[in-house]
Amino acid sequence: MNAIIDGLSALFEPIALLCFVIGLGLGLLVGIFPGITISMAVALATSFTLTLEPAQGLAMLLAIYVSAQYGDRIPSILLNTPGTPAAVATTLDGYPMAKKGQAGLALSISAIATTVGILMSMIVLMFFAQPIAQFALNFGPFEMFALVSFGLTVIISISTQSLAKGIFAGLLGITFGMVGLDPITGDPRFVFGTNELTSGLHFIAIIIGLFGITEVLDQILTYRRDKTHVITSLGRWWPTKSEMRQVAKPMALSGALGALIGVIPAAGGDIAGLIGWNRAKAISKKPEEFGKGSIEGLVGSDTASASTLGGALTTTLSLGIPGDSVMAVMIGSMIIWGIQPGPSLFERRPDIVVIIIAVMLLATLASTIISLVRTRAMTRLLDLPPQLIWGIIIVFCIVGTYSTTNNILTVIQMLVFGLLGLLLRRIGVPAGPVVLGFLLGPLAESNLRRAMLIGPPTEFITRPISLILLICTVAGLVWPTIARQLKQHKAAL
Amino acid sequence: MKPPQILSLALAAGCALSVAACSSAGINTKTPAASSSESDYPSKDITLIVQAAAGGGSDLSSRALASAMEPILGKSIIVENRPGASGSTAMLHVKDQPADGYTIGFAPVEISMLGSLNYDIAPSDYDMLGQIMLGPGVISVPADSPYNTLKEFVEAAKTTELTAANSGSGSIWEMAGLSLADATGAKIKSVPFDGGAPAVAAVLGKQVDAAFSGVNEVKQNLEDGKLKVLAIFHSERHPELPDVPTATEQGVNIEIGGWGGIYAPKGLPAEVKKTLEKAIKEATEQDSYKNVITSSGNLVVYRNSKEFSTFANDEAERFAQLLGK
Repeated sequence: MNAIIDGLSALFEPIALLCFVIGLGLGLLVGIFPGITISMAVALATSFTLTLEPAQGLAMLLAIYVSAQYGDRIPSILLNTPGTPAAVATTLDGYPMAKKGQAGLALSISAIATTVGILMSMIVLMFFAQPIAQFALNFGPFEMFALVSFGLTVIISISTQSLAKGIFAGLLGITFGMVGLDPITGDPRFVFGTNELTSGLHFIAIIIGLFGITEVLDQILTYRRDKTHVITSLGRWWPTKSEMRQVAKPMALSGALGALIGVIPAAGGDIAGLIGWNRAKAISKKPEEFGKGSIEGLVGSDTASASTLGGALTTTLSLGIPGDSVMAVMIGSMIIWGIQPGPSLFERRPDIVVIIIAVMLLATLASTIISLVRTRAMTRLLDLPPQLIWGIIIVFCIVGTYSTTNNILTVIQMLVFGLLGLLLRRIGVPAGPVVLGFLLGPLAESNLRRAMLIGPPTEFITRPISLILLICTVAGLVWPTIARQLKQHKAAL
Repeated sequence: MKPPQILSLALAAGCALSVAACSSAGINTKTPAASSSESDYPSKDITLIVQAAAGGGSDLSSRALASAMEPILGKSIIVENRPGASGSTAMLHVKDQPADGYTIGFAPVEISMLGSLNYDIAPSDYDMLGQIMLGPGVISVPADSPYNTLKEFVEAAKTTELTAANSGSGSIWEMAGLSLADATGAKIKSVPFDGGAPAVAAVLGKQVDAAFSGVNEVKQNLEDGKLKVLAIFHSERHPELPDVPTATEQGVNIEIGGWGGIYAPKGLPAEVKKTLEKAIKEATEQDSYKNVITSSGNLVVYRNSKEFSTFANDEAERFAQLLGK
């Protein structure tokens, strides 16, 4: 009890509360602004919070962490440009909803899904931190390869138009992922003799190019003055009761999945969002609506990517191993405050754990309220003349991308991917699988090769977690075909 | 509310906001003030280039040093992150800047390694101004590992090849493994991970026989009995791990670690170089700087310009030998 009182009293001091409010505001801005990632914002804030008390610093950093999760959905839904990588999957159904005139509804549902996701994962942190974190340690190279293979099957369901084009896009992404240094030997690959490419293609440049720039270019090229503006801010913004019932199931499933994925150190909100979207589709009664503005799809992606937060915190606090890139930065400042995360943190510094949980919950609550209140104002953005919106997006994309490396070549990469995205869109190749392939390809390769260094390949099937995941992978590959056969068979009868 | 708190809070808000809103921290106009003579150096702000993204160890050390140097020099030092290509992007950038003392950089241990890894970079291309820190390496094994000393581990590895995780291909911790194998004849299979934390996680999860890493990655798990640290590769025991013997104590004479210092484009005017060297030395003696370095598991190790230059060149030779080039 003392720990709870100590923790909360440190938090409810004026300075800590002020830090919290500043963090909230910063997070929302950082999220909305494409290119500025949450880890970057937290890292820069860290250099100033180091001089504060732990409760004050944690209040600011965690508030950024949480509220950015709400901010980054906004450009995904309204502009088809993910605010941070975690909101890539939000574009899949969020943007189509906005196009259908349901921007307000999409923003509200996304905020609700994000809230549910974070709260679900905080339950995991509060009650099951130790056993789950220990379970995560079982994910060695064998298990990671199996998990990533399973993730790659998402390409199948993400390819709503044509499977062949989807697989092509996935392979393209995997190929892009190979650029850079070989993960095991360190030899340069596909760098064409340049230094710049040895660190690989830049993920932020790719997603901003493929989504944001492509969207703007496409709109500019297809714009007709006489045609009425496609997206309008009209429409409801609060879901009906039946819609709430409809999304309950994908919400629960994606939330649980996201929390688990968050626990695994190498996987974060970007991957979780895509997998969550895919699982929501698999259990949906209307899978054909996915990718065309399905509220279930939006809920699936956003609940899953949000619930990685608690998962990542669980790994960080109870193992001392960063659960995602933001946590990697946070561990640095926690150590300087004299808080060493690790298995005994819960006994050593229960007050810190209380502060962390309290800030997470308060930030979630505050962000939800802010998000729902400003939904109407946000949708007004769409009433601006499109020329103005295009200009704003392009400026934001360029400045945001430049800030990631302070290198103009990264901006050029982004623009090239914008053009490539336009080309792909014109020939009907989806961008989602490219991103998925780029994210998962290198993870699959490095873990496969690490596994081969460590032990004989038979361990893929003798290790239980790896075996189960590989069976799921095969099932995921074969099942759609079998299902189709069965359907035809039934129809023939 | 104490005034310093309010001040730092306002600073935090102001700076973070400006970064988030316009992200212009990195945009610098690199036109040198032509009129300023070297005797009134520094007459304007100095830029310190960091080869890693904000938030990592290099960034933290650089920022701590920069804020300790500012009052000494009487000018602001702007820390600029230019991550990418194993740090070579930043190093080549520094090489291209005018040697006027207004662009300096954080030189990580990689500056001595990249030459052996197909990059056109060597410490001798720069003016090395002073070493500011050192993070010694350690070798750790799972808590229930059969090996309790470095000797036991090495002996076992002479008969059967053992796997050892490290933070990545071409990283200093991979070099640590190579050094140990080279010095003892042990057969150690390097398993590169993507960073130090996952490498240590592989030891905790018993995926590998051992891991090479920095002190910070193992400290808490050692205290909690989740892993054993067999040796530290430093000349003396580490204050944070007083019970961990050095490799030398166990008959294996290896010292290896991730060090860092400050460098500048080659050919600084003598006066400027002297001013900077002195400021760096004084900054490393400040408590504010020492606190940041020691609390992140590193040691404040200072070498002056000449010593640092020799040391970095020696390291480059040693890594070249290990990598067989």
